Amino acid sequence: MMPNELFRMVLPTTVVGSYSVPEWLERLKTEYHQRRISAAHLTEICEVAIKAAIKDQELAGIDIVSDGELRRDNDIDYFLARVPGVHIGQRAKSDYYDYYEAEVTAPLPEDGTMALGLAADYAFTRTLTDRPVKFSFTGPFSLSRRIAGAGQPGSAYPDPADLVRALARRLNTEARLLAAAGAAFLQVDEPFLAGYPEQAALAVEAVNIVTEGVPVIWALHVCYGNRYARPSWEGHYDFLFPAVLCARVDQLVLEFARKGLADLRLIREHGWRKSVGVGVIDVKSSMVESPDLVAARVRRALEYVAPERLMINPDCGLRHLAPDVARRKLRAMVAGAAVVRGELGEPVVPASSTLQNL
Amino acid sequence: MQIEVRPVRRLRDSEQVRGVIAPMIEAICASGADLEHLRVVCDWIQYKSNFRDLVTGRAVPGDAGPGEAPAGSYEIAVDLRRCAAQAADAFQAAMSAALAAAGAPAGGPPDGRVWLEPWGPGRDSMVWRFNALYWQALADWEKTTGKEYEQSLPHGESDARNVAAAQELILDLFRVWDELEARRALPEELYVLELGVGNGGQARTFLDEFAALDRRHGRGYYRRLHYLMGDYSAHVLDRARQEIGQHREHTSGLVLEATRLSGSVGFLAGKAFLVYISNVYDNLPTDEVASIRGRNYVVEVRSYLPEAAADAIAARFGLPRDQLPALTARLLRIGPELLSESLPGQFPDTGQAVAFWQATWQALRLAERYVLLEGLDTYQLTPAVTGEVLRPLLSAEGDVRMHVSNGALASFADTLPLLHPFGRIVCHDLFTTGPGEYHSGFFGPGKYDGSVVNWVNGSLLQLLASRRGFSVQFSPFKQRPASHVKTMTAQVRD
Repeated sequence: MMPNELFRMVLPTTVVGSYSVPEWLERLKTEYHQRRISAAHLTEICEVAIKAAIKDQELAGIDIVSDGELRRDNDIDYFLARVPGVHIGQRAKSDYYDYYEAEVTAPLPEDGTMALGLAADYAFTRTLTDRPVKFSFTGPFSLSRRIAGAGQPGSAYPDPADLVRALARRLNTEARLLAAAGAAFLQVDEPFLAGYPEQAALAVEAVNIVTEGVPVIWALHVCYGNRYARPSWEGHYDFLFPAVLCARVDQLVLEFARKGLADLRLIREHGWRKSVGVGVIDVKSSMVESPDLVAARVRRALEYVAPERLMINPDCGLRHLAPDVARRKLRAMVAGAAVVRGELGEPVVPASSTLQNL
Repeated sequence: MQIEVRPVRRLRDSEQVRGVIAPMIEAICASGADLEHLRVVCDWIQYKSNFRDLVTGRAVPGDAGPGEAPAGSYEIAVDLRRCAAQAADAFQAAMSAALAAAGAPAGGPPDGRVWLEPWGPGRDSMVWRFNALYWQALADWEKTTGKEYEQSLPHGESDARNVAAAQELILDLFRVWDELEARRALPEELYVLELGVGNGGQARTFLDEFAALDRRHGRGYYRRLHYLMGDYSAHVLDRARQEIGQHREHTSGLVLEATRLSGSVGFLAGKAFLVYISNVYDNLPTDEVASIRGRNYVVEVRSYLPEAAADAIAARFGLPRDQLPALTARLLRIGPELLSESLPGQFPDTGQAVAFWQATWQALRLAERYVLLEGLDTYQLTPAVTGEVLRPLLSAEGDVRMHVSNGALASFADTLPLLHPFGRIVCHDLFTTGPGEYHSGFFGPGKYDGSVVNWVNGSLLQLLASRRGFSVQFSPFKQRPASHVKTMTAQVRD
């Protein structure tokens, strides 16, 4: 089943995951990492921020919302700090967004009894909105790139690919818990993959381990990085093909707004028959797109992907945008999608009145 | 009372410097100043031409509740270099005057100074308009002094001409480009941007070496190279264009404001493989901030001409003394050539107007006062950066006063987005590299010919870069390690 069928929508709008992190929240997160406020206080602060982020998305008219990943310090450490067997020597940070120096000194335990806590994060979000929720987490390939100690003779993982697979098994356990908690739409993010295009097959193999036996809608997000609102790499999505055709996911979520839409041709050329989440909002620019520009990008995407296979989203997470810019960009995206939906003869109905409580 | 002697090595080594301390304390005790609230800071101002008097008094306001008078303190700033060369009684007289000034009501002491501007943060001071005029009317200045800009540099030549340094940069570029080419990720157009082009020597050296090395390397990178020269001064840019000779096809010149790059070279976002900057940042407007007894202050300044100097200038050019502020403002607005045209009676030719400019500049001093910052987040370092970025530096060093390097910070922050993911900024300049350095040295402002020189707060640039995902390294300028110039390299972290 295509995601759009499940959500019973044409051209549904969603986010990729992260939401704008206001400067005051950044400061408080840094305070936590410098041991000046407690974990309990930070949790309460983040939960307030998550409520606000969901409200912002609802008011903007986003059909499928997320928790904005506002509990996370960055795309890597929130997970690595919780994976049993990953050693982080120094947990204080001078800035919350910095990466930890993580390493493995022994194979990761495989018992699967220690959860990472993502299901609880999802459950909290689920209580806050009637709209469908997308829940994202960083994939095993990208996580592995921030762990030292693999790839050396005599190390815990002489073959770094084995570390990727071990992380994938851990994430599969977590995905099962998420599904059990009611999650219906999960997304694996691989922000580092574009920097290692020759390893696409390994990344896809690992994604398949993550999704194995977890009956939800699966999306795979691959971008060119969004660290500090900058691309980490440049290039073209052709490195994903044909490997990604073997990915057991329902949707590819790709960035096009910043890079241009030229790579859309790859979808058709390589015969990707599943859903595509098309990035129509440049998250690395604070210039707010007009609804007309969004509509033009969606129309262009429709030249390559049928409407029932197309979902509308920003290029990547909104974390580096100022709150007001993020809100205006989401509103523009929703308005632009509505224009095209109207052109397709679809009724423009508020999301909350049409969607199941997924 | 607190006495802070910053040039500690000189204190230990020089009997003359130590000889200043006792008369200083004598003068303070004789003054009847409130010793509990007095702080004395002794610097060694290495710039023979600078903005400071021998001894300067500054008020340090404290917190005040509604309707309360602020419980403040005083700071007396002493230039040990000049004081050590003074007779004891002259020094003591200067101390007494400064102590009196520190307690004087707002508006300053009645010592005959000719004020040229209102109080304001350092970056807004007219000294920066003098600085801008120097670069805009460099040809007029040089004609009058008979000395070219590059001859004014301590070693008579810009660091930018160094062939070995250029070769190293180019070979690093080739290495990165080869790797990207192998992954089919190298763009067709390869951009290099130089900010502050001097006389074109850097561009010429870089392009000559680039062409030669590319011939040997055999990848045809020279054909794809776009070398953009950006400078504030059209005159400087014209001269640089003449210098680059046969490389013209690969170069473009852009008149731009180094502190507002996004408006002029925003099209380069994510495309520049190298941004080369030599001795620009030290010449951009800056504030100073201070942390004193746990409170944060911005240093406000006000330009003035000392009484004797004002009288001398007025007499030399046949001007009423009270017209000096208006004439100075006019000079800064229209430049020496138009000043001469508009007031031929006072300035019969451009040379006379330049002489007025040089005399005023030479005499110009800066009075200083501390203004309490209500909160770091209310202090805008640049339109996009708040004072929050200063917090780690100000909170880690006790009482400290440092440059904010606002202009350099704005330029740097605007340059980072131009970099290709594998690009970098290479900058040769005068940098402090740790806030602790401010405890042991004086880092400007000083006067350098007709321009202002300030060391750049490297730690602040490092901190800002870190918050934006870049790492910044400082190293001695390899090709001239004995100089104070350092090489700053910024590139993507993680």
